[in-house]
Amino acid sequence: MSSQNNPTNGFNGEDSPLIQTKNLYKSYFNEGLETKVLFDINLTINKGEFVAIMGPSGSGKSTLMHILGFLDNHTEGEYEFHGKAARTMDEDMLAKVRATRVSFVFQAFNLLPRASIYQNVMLPLIYHPIIPAEERDSRVNKAIESVDLTDRTNFLSNQLSGGQKQRVAIARALVTEPELIFADEPTGNLDSASGIQVMKVLQDLHDSGHTIILVTHEQSTAEHADRIIELFDGRITRDTEEFKTRWAVDEDKLMK
Amino acid sequence: MLGIIIGVGAVVLMTGVGKSVEGVILGQIDFMGPQTMALFPGNEGPEGGNSSMRPDFDAITFSDTEALKTLTTVKYIAPVVFVPGNAVYGREETDPRIAGSTPEYYLNQNIEVTEGRFHDQKDEEASNSVVVIGSDIAEDLFFNQSAVGKRMELANKKFTVIGVLKPVGMVFFQNVDDRIIMPLSTAVAMTGRTYADMVSMQAVDDFDIAFEDVRALLRQRHGITVPEDGSTDNDDFLVRSAAQAEEILGTVSISLTVFITLIAGISLFVGGIGIMNIMLVSVTERTREIGLRKAIGAKRKDILLQILLESVFLTLIGGCIGIVLGIGLDFLISAAVNKVLSEYQFAISIGAIFLALAMATVTGIVFGVYPAKKASELSPIEALRYE
Ligand SMILES: Nc1ncnc2c1ncn2[C@@H]1O[C@H](COP(=O)(O)OP(=O)(O)OP(=O)(O)O)[C@@H](O)[C@H]1O
Ligand SMILES: [Mg+2]
Repeated sequence: MSSQNNPTNGFNGEDSPLIQTKNLYKSYFNEGLETKVLFDINLTINKGEFVAIMGPSGSGKSTLMHILGFLDNHTEGEYEFHGKAARTMDEDMLAKVRATRVSFVFQAFNLLPRASIYQNVMLPLIYHPIIPAEERDSRVNKAIESVDLTDRTNFLSNQLSGGQKQRVAIARALVTEPELIFADEPTGNLDSASGIQVMKVLQDLHDSGHTIILVTHEQSTAEHADRIIELFDGRITRDTEEFKTRWAVDEDKLMK
Repeated sequence: MLGIIIGVGAVVLMTGVGKSVEGVILGQIDFMGPQTMALFPGNEGPEGGNSSMRPDFDAITFSDTEALKTLTTVKYIAPVVFVPGNAVYGREETDPRIAGSTPEYYLNQNIEVTEGRFHDQKDEEASNSVVVIGSDIAEDLFFNQSAVGKRMELANKKFTVIGVLKPVGMVFFQNVDDRIIMPLSTAVAMTGRTYADMVSMQAVDDFDIAFEDVRALLRQRHGITVPEDGSTDNDDFLVRSAAQAEEILGTVSISLTVFITLIAGISLFVGGIGIMNIMLVSVTERTREIGLRKAIGAKRKDILLQILLESVFLTLIGGCIGIVLGIGLDFLISAAVNKVLSEYQFAISIGAIFLALAMATVTGIVFGVYPAKKASELSPIEALRYE
């Protein structure tokens, strides 16, 4: 990873863990009604890990990811990123972290429907404070190539299949080469062949030094990771180191 | 976008049409000299109808009209007698308004001939069978060939055309180019009339004084006592002036302006609602988009600037299309109406265009930027989840 994507200003250097939560709670409030979703989450994730979060539907996986990815606020406890508490970050700081440090592959893709693949993948670069404008084009093309969509670069995103959208979302997430990539059910909408392709991209990213946190409820997908965290009713019920038992590269070859 | 186009287009079109209509009305006022006056028998004037059934239809006798000539405050006194009947030339036939009047008629009506001459005192004295015809009659019967010297038939009597009147068009929304004028003495001989259907004249100077003089003379001659309130209720005649009509038209024109303003206001309102709707419909999509942009690192001010530029750009483009469409439609309507009513001229209101554009921009900004601002204050995930 190039150093320009790792501005350390504002963070306690690289000694602190990448992600650390202490007694983290999350509640949603709708019209005065409190829905408690996460309870007492204590979690440490270091740089370079490939973590799979598992658990039944409604257990709080997406909610946890959104908090860790600076897309949502937690209610109680502490969330530290490189040792810096999230609640001490102001709007501009948060925007900068979102632009440079983390990226997200959403469960629902969230592409701009009337924009082309190229424009969708370009989007994060527009808000990136460091990457120079003249690097954008080559980065976009490289990202699109890494998800195998070069021949569809100028397609509108609403002209794509679910699997293709998912890959565009991944290309968009990796175009800024952030140190931390979140993927919420990246294979959930895909057939197994496309799913394996997506996992291959994520594993490649991991191999090149990126930290990956993914949500899945499929054991087979989780087995691509080297750590599995299980959530049940908003609590961590399991957190184990695993040796990867699946290698998407090989699976991909097998499929062909 | 469609809302903006329709809103702006409607405002531009409606105000343009309004201006054209106003032009037609004001044109009517311009035509007649304000000094022209008309005297009608009966208390209701020409509104009472032309039939001899209405009361006092014969109130104004030729001796009355002779007496009017003694007044110094009115001039060009011309009694008018209408002669019923058709005009026939060869196999062509038309239904004109035939009137007998004296040469003074031409003076007080401000009319001219394009060909030939008016009839004169000699024609009156000899009760000559000569006519001066309106331009429409010349066109209908003689197809614009020289009509002077042609012999035509009016109410089964032969007449020689001696003059063709210059086209005038509509006066008070009545076509006056289909008239045929013969010497009064000839008309009297044909109808045996002793009274006038109308007397036209001009005020010499101030027409309020002219009015009072005409009234006083006729009341005296007809033995009419004025009621205590000074009203004209007991009169068996009615005096009208072009200036009075002008006043009426003036009020019409004012109410028209009010009407147009109202229409423009309604169009603005409807257009505004249209724009608002479009903007609000896109709020859901917008909010999600804003959520996404924030999720990938957009600052609040990046988003607001983008939305602001977008709204302004969109409304201006829509506004310009609306203006072009509005003007285009206005032009088409004008071209069509102009065929029927030549006074109707294409017109646009520059003020309304700017107003419409300003409204579109303001509505666009308010309804585009305000929700965007709200959305940009949500956390990315709340905005993404917005429904
Ligand atoms: N905006 C919200 N307001 C109130 N409750 C919410 C909101 N979003 C999520 N929840 C609740 O929080 C709980 C956890 O939701 P979350 O989306 O994190 O689950 P998940 O584990 O990702 O489920 P899935 O596997 O179906 O995606 C659910 O019970 C859900 O109903
Ligand atoms: Mg989820």
